[in-house]
Amino acid sequence: MTEHPSFSYTPNEYEAEKASNSYLMSVIAVMIGLPLPVINLIATAIFFIANKRATHFVRWHCMQALLSQGFTFPMNVTGVYWTLSIVFGANIISNNYIAYMTTIVVFNIAEFIATVYAAVQTRKGNHVEWWLFGPLTHLLIKA
Amino acid sequence: MEQQKVDMFLMTQGKYFEGYQLPAIRDQLLKMDDSKFIMLQAANLKDPTTTLIISIVGGSLGIDRFFLGDTGLGIAKLLTCGGIGIWAIVDWFLIQGRARELNMERLQRVLF
Repeated sequence: MTEHPSFSYTPNEYEAEKASNSYLMSVIAVMIGLPLPVINLIATAIFFIANKRATHFVRWHCMQALLSQGFTFPMNVTGVYWTLSIVFGANIISNNYIAYMTTIVVFNIAEFIATVYAAVQTRKGNHVEWWLFGPLTHLLIKA
Repeated sequence: MEQQKVDMFLMTQGKYFEGYQLPAIRDQLLKMDDSKFIMLQAANLKDPTTTLIISIVGGSLGIDRFFLGDTGLGIAKLLTCGGIGIWAIVDWFLIQGRARELNMERLQRVLF
């Protein structure tokens, strides 16, 4: 799920700390924002905007964290909406609902583990590229 | 300024700045006139660790931003209850960097 290609330069200590903070903050925002799925996305977006003048390494990892949150956001919103429609509306628990919820729980756990792993590795100054989000980030963040 | 004084300053106040800034600060202090040393000591540098604690405790009321002198942002944070909590969380991770950045600006004002 993750790769360790070399970055275009070796990041400094302070860059590694800031880049790691982008992942760490999204993890904490998820924990505090539950069950609302939008808190972590907004928090990561604000963090990216605050660091838009930072170095390439920092911006790159902020964008990767933002993309991963942006990807899980529609799935989580759908899950929350579906659950609320069952609790307060006329919908009933169906096999489709259980399958969907299982999928997003597994996806969120995988994303959570990958985020924690990326936070640990970037803090050590290692560059971590996720499957799908890494190449997308390269397209969006230029050196 | 004497090398001994500069080294003493960096030993006691080094944590108020980013690590990569220290060599440049050292060079600037060595070239600085001795008469500015008192002004340098009186510069109101903010401790990043204290700022972080204030941010965790009173971040949702904008106290951390008031502490750093960002009054406008502090009022905005106060009125929005720390951006409905989201801005407060983000600031836990940004505020130490902001404190170090402000300290560098204050040092530059003393030096030039």
